[in-house]
Amino acid sequence: MTKKRFPLWTVGLVGIFLLVLVPVLYFLPRAQSKKEPAAYLPVKPVHVDHKDIVKGEFKTGQDVTRACLECHEDAATEFMKTTHWTWESKAFDVPWREDDVTIGKVNQINNFCIGTQGNENKCMSCHAGYGWEQGRESALANPENVDCLACHADTGAYGKGAFGNPAEGVDLLAAAQGVRAPTRDNCGKCHFDGGGGNGVKHGDLDESLYFPNENLDIHMGGEKNMQCADCHWTKDHQVLGRMIADNYTIDPKEQVSCEQCHVDQKHEDERLNTHLSSVACQTCHIPAIALEDPTKVTWDWSQAGQEGREDDHFTYLKIKGEFVYDKNFAPTYLWFNGNNEYRYILGDKISEDGVTYINKPAGSIDDKNSKIFPFKVHIAKQPYDVKNKHLLQPITSGKDGFWTTFDWNSSFELAQERMGLAYSGEYDFTTTYMYWPTTHMVQSADKALQCEACHGENGRLNWEELGYPGDPIDWGRRK
Amino acid sequence: MKRYTIPAILGLLLVTIAISVGVALASSQPAPVTQASVLHPNFAMLDANGTNVLESNGAVSTMKTCGQCHDTTFIESHAFHADLGLSDYQETKDLNASSGTFGKWDPLTYRYLSQNGDERLDLSTAEWLMLNGERIAGGGPATTSRDGAPLADLKSSAENPETTLLQNGSAAVWDWDKSGTMEMNCFLCHLESPNTAARAEAIRAGEFGSANTATLLDLNIVSKSADGWSWSADSFNELGEVKSEKIAIQDPTNQNCAACHGEVHPNAGDPLLIDQCDLSEPQTATTGQVVSGQRINQSGLNLQGKAELDRSWDVHAERELQCTDCHYALNNPSHLSEIQSSNPEHLVYDPRSLEIGEYLQRPDHNFARGQSAQFNAAPEYKGTMRRCENCHDASKGHADWLPYVDTHMNSMSCESCHIPQMYAPAIQTYDWTVITLNGGAVSACRGVEGTPNEVTSLVSGYKPVLLNRTNVDGNSLLAPYNLITSFYWVYDDANGSKRPVRLVDLESVYLSNGGYASDIVTAFDANGDGALTNSELAIDSAAKEDAVKSKLLALGLNNPRIEGMVQPYSINHNVTKGKYAVNDCKACHNEDSRVAQPIKLADSAPVIPVFVTNTNVQGSGEIVKGEDGALYYQPQPASDDMYVFGSSRVSWVDWFGALAFAGSLLGVLGHGTLRYLAARKQPKEHVETKRVYMYEAYRRFWHWLQTASIVLLLFTGLIIHRPDIFGAFSFSNIVIVHNILAVILVINAALSLFYHLVTERIREFIPHPYGFFDDAILQAKYYINGIFKSEGHPFEKRPDSRMNPIQKATYFAILNVLLPLQIITGALMWAVQLFPNIAGGLPFLAPFHSLVAWLFGTFILVHVYMTTTGATPLEAMRAMVTGYEDVEIHDEVHQEEKKQEDKGKKKSK
Repeated sequence: MTKKRFPLWTVGLVGIFLLVLVPVLYFLPRAQSKKEPAAYLPVKPVHVDHKDIVKGEFKTGQDVTRACLECHEDAATEFMKTTHWTWESKAFDVPWREDDVTIGKVNQINNFCIGTQGNENKCMSCHAGYGWEQGRESALANPENVDCLACHADTGAYGKGAFGNPAEGVDLLAAAQGVRAPTRDNCGKCHFDGGGGNGVKHGDLDESLYFPNENLDIHMGGEKNMQCADCHWTKDHQVLGRMIADNYTIDPKEQVSCEQCHVDQKHEDERLNTHLSSVACQTCHIPAIALEDPTKVTWDWSQAGQEGREDDHFTYLKIKGEFVYDKNFAPTYLWFNGNNEYRYILGDKISEDGVTYINKPAGSIDDKNSKIFPFKVHIAKQPYDVKNKHLLQPITSGKDGFWTTFDWNSSFELAQERMGLAYSGEYDFTTTYMYWPTTHMVQSADKALQCEACHGENGRLNWEELGYPGDPIDWGRRK
Repeated sequence: MKRYTIPAILGLLLVTIAISVGVALASSQPAPVTQASVLHPNFAMLDANGTNVLESNGAVSTMKTCGQCHDTTFIESHAFHADLGLSDYQETKDLNASSGTFGKWDPLTYRYLSQNGDERLDLSTAEWLMLNGERIAGGGPATTSRDGAPLADLKSSAENPETTLLQNGSAAVWDWDKSGTMEMNCFLCHLESPNTAARAEAIRAGEFGSANTATLLDLNIVSKSADGWSWSADSFNELGEVKSEKIAIQDPTNQNCAACHGEVHPNAGDPLLIDQCDLSEPQTATTGQVVSGQRINQSGLNLQGKAELDRSWDVHAERELQCTDCHYALNNPSHLSEIQSSNPEHLVYDPRSLEIGEYLQRPDHNFARGQSAQFNAAPEYKGTMRRCENCHDASKGHADWLPYVDTHMNSMSCESCHIPQMYAPAIQTYDWTVITLNGGAVSACRGVEGTPNEVTSLVSGYKPVLLNRTNVDGNSLLAPYNLITSFYWVYDDANGSKRPVRLVDLESVYLSNGGYASDIVTAFDANGDGALTNSELAIDSAAKEDAVKSKLLALGLNNPRIEGMVQPYSINHNVTKGKYAVNDCKACHNEDSRVAQPIKLADSAPVIPVFVTNTNVQGSGEIVKGEDGALYYQPQPASDDMYVFGSSRVSWVDWFGALAFAGSLLGVLGHGTLRYLAARKQPKEHVETKRVYMYEAYRRFWHWLQTASIVLLLFTGLIIHRPDIFGAFSFSNIVIVHNILAVILVINAALSLFYHLVTERIREFIPHPYGFFDDAILQAKYYINGIFKSEGHPFEKRPDSRMNPIQKATYFAILNVLLPLQIITGALMWAVQLFPNIAGGLPFLAPFHSLVAWLFGTFILVHVYMTTTGATPLEAMRAMVTGYEDVEIHDEVHQEEKKQEDKGKKKSK
């Protein structure tokens, strides 16, 4: 008998083992091995402490930037490609205009403080660049004007003042030595206070998110303590995610989506999943806007400038007019495919029948890419040129601005001079609507909307306005 | 004229629809959502004489008013909400005179509707209506006497319980002409907010004729005036019709049903609060059912573990179902599919259905209903409702995780798992053998720690008990129930009828001058403080019973005695989806199985109560006293022919099997020890052995594959049998593994059989009858005697004859009896999915399977031991691995071998 390396019986043993094991493993139900959503979060490198690296002395913001660029050579050129720097979109061919147009804060208006042009000394405190006193062209041309500190310094050690320059008295060395990856504080400085104060613009972004609990936002609050960049994935200073306030159409690839982390993750409940083709995640998971801090819902500029009326932050300011703030209220719901159907461009005629839209979300019940989506609507009364039939942009800040003179005519004339917006000499006020998509202050499943919110009596969706014959529970879903 | 009525109504409807749709489309602003149907036209309000109330200032008659278009006579006669058992009322010496609220005695509300000729008047019809009227729709016994005549036509007589009222202990005459009677109240269910409070007030005051008009108070239609009713002209149009927008007639909403049945709460809005164990919301009080889509953790209850309870109270309410979606009018054409169920077999769809106009004229008010245990009026309509399985396909939802879906569905209702827990308290005990100072029973609530309805009391909810319910289709399924136990005094009246002791009589026994009578205090006051608390108010000794009994006897009550009753209350609402349902196999397949989980009946019991028999629920369990002195209901799944793996056991099978195994173990150990001792005393001489190729590869292969599958089958089977001692294993996975192993075993056995048949080796297994006993005795003697003396084996082990006679007999039994039995019982247990009662069903098959498993275990033990009796203890085992065995050489066998060889040679020649 020859000694085999493996006697026959060991082969038999393995065979029997396999014969039992293989069918068992084949037929046993397998638990779905899915990655946790958190596994998709970007891995952030540990930030190097710059305390011993950064040496002074810094007299101006540009001094700091030069120091940064010594090591981070490409940082400024990368950053200058982003809309955080340019404040305008790429050029679009829009149907209501012959020439292509760009859209952005730098050249457009909204229905809050109306426009930045000519108001650079104030407005540019939210631009990540210095030197706006030199004018737009030269301010944006110089890489040394990139304000690294706006996003990377501890906001307790740094602040911005006139024309985008560091505020008076800021210890630039201390600010530069404390640099780090941006936190909610950095982003919040501008995005929570957009429009001139806490919660003015966004109903879903305000200072309550500096210290959120999980009831305010399931991602940023509680244990997860997610930072903006956890969803707004950033590469080469290009931050993912833009919405429609200052845009026309947006490539879905440029948008943040829930599916970045919630990959193939649906509800356990089939009935809920039947909603997914028509209802955005936000619609159920953001039941209310401005949960803690109130947000502006109307703004009447026509009341500005009244002598002797007492100022109150939430109802009336002489320089700005009358407002209404609201909190914890249900959004307005529209079909939305991620784009604007219309964005008001300087010089566009106002609407003849009452309401002029600053922007109008695109989408309809017939558009398969549209989902029902929650918006905050901001309604304003803002000035327009009676003869030219276009919206006007006043110069507000500065010694000749409306906030000093309270003279509308001179503020429009000044604007005509500085930015070339024609002014006939006659103005009045017209109603404008602006839509703000709501995507923050997300609630966990146990606090999301239930059926009754939309399908019950007095439900929050107006089915007929959305294009349904009636509640789809009774009338069926869109075809 | 009449033939134009329907088209006229339809035309009117169409115009209304057209106008309202036009209005709706034209308005760009979000119009306020109208609460009620806009379809209902204006209509004249008529009084009982058919005169417009604007002229007569009279009370409205619903039968006349609604009868202008709808066939109200048809509606009333097709409505168990109106009938309430009146139509099957039958005088009886027993307690229950009908199957409905009118005539069926309810030990919770206690008061007894007196029958004609009863010795003592308890509830007259009038007082019955005063007490129950606010929760009944009217019509039926509220307008009609027991023999079918209108109540108003009855001759007033103090003798007749239909025309009397118990006042200060004696019967006063009741005048139905004066009080009026209570027509079926359409407004109660078809108005958005009927004035139920004003209605109840009128009913309690005995002003039955005013009740329906009172329902309209505060709606700017009618108000009370000195000489009757004052109808508001503003609400009527120039034709004298009430404007439809003033009285929005609508389909009944959940709120309408809630007015009588139990707690209904909208999802949004205020946190839900419950009047706990309050019989004014009977369904909630008796079961804890709450119809609301609100998340439980958003309710206002002080509920244990509330933060985690993010499920809704009821998933159907959450999903916007209305009561009427399941409990619809039976001839409603929108539920045509149910009506169509009586089609001839070849006909899938019958287009000849009721037109909507015809339906609106004569809507059947016998609503589709389930098979609840307690609501028994019009039993012929039980099971007319869509049940879970008519809407949901259980095989889809459970396929990915629940093994044996059909077996589960054949033995338990969906509710058993999908109503895992009640989160509101429910009544547990009503003890009327004693009474409280305000004339109520001493009651207890389950699911709440402390006094119900106090903010400091913690609501814990309770797990319903699972009882076997026989459906109208004859199938029996487990379903969740609350059990309410009541104790009460009964007596035999002068006619020999059994009647509950009247509340007035109890009050005169127990109470005196606003407090307890002094002799009662003496008898019941356990702590001697001169006052009685609810905990002292219990008849828990013969002395107390006698004290009360003697007082009852003194009142002239014949044969007073205590009885007790356990009533099941069905739980069908508060359904939850799979995520929150019972979805852990071990909840039932374990020692403390839900299926056998006891439920408390009473903290103390004056008598052992009887489980009621007049329901579709089998009280097949036992009522037992616990160690804490409390009374429990202990379900006995076995007596419902249920066998629940992991929970059910037939104890003698396990005892027998364990004894067989342990006996064999002892025997083997004893025999082994003796062999060892004998070998030491008399060392085995060197026996001549030779190496023989005993087992070729296939034999070894099938042997060891069989070994592996049998051992693993025994192990997994043991886990399924006793999951409580193998907590680490997933029950459902083990079941799947067990089945896979069984298939491997069967295939291996079949292939092996084929091999043995084809090679004719099967003969080795067949004992030769000739000389079998002699040989067997020889072999047995060897095991008993020779083996200890180091004698050689009496039979030589050869490749062609490897087994001795005893082995042959054993294997013959194993392979022809045990293995087939185990395979067949196992396969039948699998087949139970398709044929639930095949071969006695699980209650027979499962214990049988366990018994054979025990025998297999025993066999393996002995078999392994016997392998040690070879030339050396491990020789046989080595042979089964390598194929080669050293066997003892037997001289005589040498010759046989030679013969064989010769034969072989001859053959080959």
